[in-house]
Amino acid sequence: MRVSADMARCEGHGLCEEVAPSVYELDDDAVVTVAHEKVPPELERLAEAGAQVCPVAALKVIR
Amino acid sequence: MKLNRIVVVGGSIAALTAAETLRIEGFDGSITVLSDEKVPPYTRVPLSKSALAGRELEDDLTLPAMSDDVDLRLHTRAEGLDVHRRLVHTKEGSVPFDGLVIATGARARTVGHRRGGERVLRDIEHSRSLRADLATASSVLVVGGGFLGMEIASTCRELGKDVTVVDREPPLERLLGPLVGARIRDAARMAGVRIRVAAGDVELVGGKTPSGARIANDEVLEADMVVSAVGDLPNIEWLLGSGLRLNGGVHVDAWCRARPNIVAAGDVAVQAGPDGSSRRTPSWTNAIEQARAAAQALLRAENAAPYRPSHYYWTEQFGLDVKMVGPPGSDGTPTISEGSLDCPPALLEWHTSGTAYRVVALNHGIRPAKLKRLVPAHHSRSVLR
Repeated sequence: MRVSADMARCEGHGLCEEVAPSVYELDDDAVVTVAHEKVPPELERLAEAGAQVCPVAALKVIR
Repeated sequence: MKLNRIVVVGGSIAALTAAETLRIEGFDGSITVLSDEKVPPYTRVPLSKSALAGRELEDDLTLPAMSDDVDLRLHTRAEGLDVHRRLVHTKEGSVPFDGLVIATGARARTVGHRRGGERVLRDIEHSRSLRADLATASSVLVVGGGFLGMEIASTCRELGKDVTVVDREPPLERLLGPLVGARIRDAARMAGVRIRVAAGDVELVGGKTPSGARIANDEVLEADMVVSAVGDLPNIEWLLGSGLRLNGGVHVDAWCRARPNIVAAGDVAVQAGPDGSSRRTPSWTNAIEQARAAAQALLRAENAAPYRPSHYYWTEQFGLDVKMVGPPGSDGTPTISEGSLDCPPALLEWHTSGTAYRVVALNHGIRPAKLKRLVPAHHSRSVLR
């Protein structure tokens, strides 16, 4: 599983980071970065949950 | 209590978050989500902004799908609840549960128009139909000057429409206070929006769809399109007679529970605040955070953390990006701790006995997580592991 983050859409609300801090981090400009190029199987569920709470749908899960 | 079957009633972000949280927390029984929507969960946040402006395709609003091990049933409206026999009634039959998550949200409140046809904005179909109407309208009257009404006004100005906002109080005053409220109203006026503050009730006038509003002194404000943005009403009708305490929403305890095996989250839930008053907290962030807390409490009862809303809100309008932590209100006087209100970025803090209870960031790049940390009462919450 991979997660693609659309930087143009990200508004830095940080809800993904709140739900899944082991997958998502906000940089100093409050733009999201995905910690893993390929999400480890044990974090897939969290990665998905973090993507789902994005208010601007900036995160897409790719299988 | 061993739970084998959990039913989630609702089809938006609170329902989705509850279902995912149950799995993350290790629940391996069945999860059934009953949604009366025609489409899978999508983000409502852009509906008044980029989606209404037509800058965004509807497909782009769709949220990552629920997992295969969640049984999502669309077009399925819950019509009743039997708490003793543990059944949710639908037209397609009754669905049994051991644990229940109530996340039926809210719907747009209306002003009332004798011929029906009142325009509101709550779901993707509303956004689509407003956008269609906007294609031929040159003037828009927005009834209601809260976050939603002002966002709609902003988008309509962006589209070049002639825009008037009418409210009983100065728009945003009740939510953001006089100082920030006035700043945003100035931005709205600069953008060309007319703001009318009119005491008393507003009466919609016109034919099949309203084309004006009668305000005080019999004055009628006319427009090609009238949009009502006057708040929301919780979807609790299906719970009438269930025995749950319903008064302006589903009343729940600090763990989001209405019964030991029934929790509620999102726009439909009423919870007591620190001041003892009970209220709903209808916002995107609250729906997520409360749904997580509710799902955890359903599985772990009082071993889960009690829920405290983070009170994180945001709005974008008239070139201003507003982020707020702390309960909305017009009380107190903020200090400007960074920047300038006239020329943002600006950071404002409301203090009581040396502690911030509300902060507002205007066009400020501060990270939301950092903003939350500025308000001690609201940032101590658990995260999923």
